[in-house]
Amino acid sequence: MISLQPLANLKPASLYFHRFSSKPRTKFKPITIHSLLQYNRKPQLAGDTPRVVVITSGKGGVGKTTTTANIGLSLARLGFSVVAIDADVGLRNLDLLLGLENRVNYTVVEVLNGDCRLDQALVRDKRWSNFELLCISKPRSKLPLGFGGKALIWLVEALKAREEGAPDFIIIDCPAGIDAGFITAITPANEAVLVTTPDITSLRDADRVTGLLECDGIRDIKMIVNRVRTDMIKGEDMMSVLDVQEMLGLPLLGVIPEDTEVIRSTNRGHPLVLNKPPAIAGLAFEQAAWRLVEQDSMKAVMMEEEPKKRGFFSFFGG
Amino acid sequence: MTTTASIWTLHFHSSSFPIPILSSEVRFRRYLEFACNCKNCTSRSTLRKFIVRAVSSDDDKRLRDEVIVNNSSKDNAAKTQQNPVAMFQESISSLPLLVFKTGKYSGVSFTVGLCIVATLLIIVVKGYAARKSRHNRPGSVADLVRRGQLRSDRRGISTPLKYEDPFNNPMVKVSKSNSSVEMCGKVYRLAPVTLTEEEQSVHQKRRSRAYQWKRPTMFLKEGESVPPDVDPDTVRWIPANHPFATTSSDIDEDLAQNNVYQKHGVPFRIQAEHEALQRKLEALQNEQKLNKLVIDPAAARDFERPLKSHLKSGDQVEQSTSNPKSSPNPPKSDRAHNSCEQTNL
Ligand SMILES: Nc1ncnc2c1ncn2[C@@H]1O[C@H](COP(=O)(O)OP(=O)(O)O)[C@@H](O)[C@H]1O
Ligand SMILES: [Mg+2]
Repeated sequence: MISLQPLANLKPASLYFHRFSSKPRTKFKPITIHSLLQYNRKPQLAGDTPRVVVITSGKGGVGKTTTTANIGLSLARLGFSVVAIDADVGLRNLDLLLGLENRVNYTVVEVLNGDCRLDQALVRDKRWSNFELLCISKPRSKLPLGFGGKALIWLVEALKAREEGAPDFIIIDCPAGIDAGFITAITPANEAVLVTTPDITSLRDADRVTGLLECDGIRDIKMIVNRVRTDMIKGEDMMSVLDVQEMLGLPLLGVIPEDTEVIRSTNRGHPLVLNKPPAIAGLAFEQAAWRLVEQDSMKAVMMEEEPKKRGFFSFFGG
Repeated sequence: MTTTASIWTLHFHSSSFPIPILSSEVRFRRYLEFACNCKNCTSRSTLRKFIVRAVSSDDDKRLRDEVIVNNSSKDNAAKTQQNPVAMFQESISSLPLLVFKTGKYSGVSFTVGLCIVATLLIIVVKGYAARKSRHNRPGSVADLVRRGQLRSDRRGISTPLKYEDPFNNPMVKVSKSNSSVEMCGKVYRLAPVTLTEEEQSVHQKRRSRAYQWKRPTMFLKEGESVPPDVDPDTVRWIPANHPFATTSSDIDEDLAQNNVYQKHGVPFRIQAEHEALQRKLEALQNEQKLNKLVIDPAAARDFERPLKSHLKSGDQVEQSTSNPKSSPNPPKSDRAHNSCEQTNL
């Protein structure tokens, strides 16, 4: 049985849970924070293009697809060309989140079979024309696994060789689990974004998946902690982001608060980051995208909410 | 206590104003909790005691004022009005009057009545506005209806918004000391991240010990035998009835790869189908020449599938005919196209 315990005596007690309620870890001292975003400039693209990023988690329902949609569209909004691949073979829903479900006529399976060309299977978003969606298969068709992983590598090659130039980012929405679909999805990736929620089940899966990614040679792994509730952290009912980081030892790409707007944006098929005014989770996704571009990680995290005062007559004014 | 209060408010609304304001009432009750002292609440006693509590919307420091109004039918007109809060409470405290004295309403101050009406109007309008805004709020179920995922045509339709400028975001403000950040009107305390490179590599070592994994390169159906030159560690067994995956494929690897790399022209399968269709047509024409028969039904059924796929991919064929340079073998596809047109006629 594999558990999250550390090596014998490298860092004793660093992973046990009682710590996060016993020790005041963050004695607050004024420290200069660099990671804050400068919104008045375009982020600097780091690394070689196309950057092939897989978004994975192990556990299902933690927000991989939400993250893919929002980071993908954020990147497009920041001016980069993006191809999002929905590699969730059986339970595809990235198209739904993006509101593109009616425009998916062809998928990679049809491309492989010669029923259409690759450019016909790419669905271009009308809101941001530098964003394209590619689905692996239709809900009822089966992906031939014999060359599932290879097929993704061919796809990346074909996208590189496109006439309009290689996309800056290829983002792959990975299926849950560590099954054949996972293996297929991570094949072409050079970097990974691990999505997790601050609970122990999701963390164990995340640790396992990180291990597999590292075995597979993907070294650049950053994590996004999703569905964080600052009110519960304050009440010590939820692990804080720093607790999560202590358990996984991964740099932070972003922290996404729990936000009801996520569900609304799913209903609309209109990712959060396009909202005006932006929802708080949308802002967090936007910042994560920013860091992804610059290959940066967070240097400070939001801990808890400090109450802001509102007047009595906001009832009448608001 | 609360339930009686809610019953009371309901009764109050329905008896005095026959306007459907149920939704506004929910809001209303969030701010004002009427607590009715029930022992004295028997409707015939002349001396009634009401506790009116005004709760401000501020979550943290609730401004609670409890005003006990002795409602002895005469004294409530002369009240000092020092501040707006008191005035507000005053107007609320006089609400019960309206209910219990509807029958014998005669000479009580007209301005108080006006005040009540004004307050109620504001509440009703606010409630109505809130309901209206809820109706065309983006991301409601109405959007699912619009997208055809839900069936109900009575729901409203909202327009999506565009968030234009990614380089000017006024929603995030960082405090001068960098110790807190304001997002969407809420202030959060910031804590520095302390993860070091060392710690990161310790975790990596731990994981590489814990999870030793070889990427599976071979996918086999349960029951198949492992080929001799394959490391059994890299074999992944897929159940034969796996819902999303299959280990076999009716197309060989090189062909699939070429299909992915193809940039122009008619896709392979479409091309093959056109050729098959063309051969059948020729055969049919010969047959017709020979014995002048009308199309026999079996052959017609054979044509149906290629024709359908042709209709779907009509634009592709047009593309390929319009730029024959890029097409690998233009004469063939041209012919296929023409022959299809014949059948369409
Ligand atoms: N930050 C969040 N706040 C609230 N709900 C969220 C958040 N992130 C994800 N969800 C919800 O969680 C559910 C699963 O998300 P999804 O992205 O489909 O997960 P996955 O792709 O990992 O299975 C969705 O219903 C989504 O609305
Ligand atoms: Mg998903």
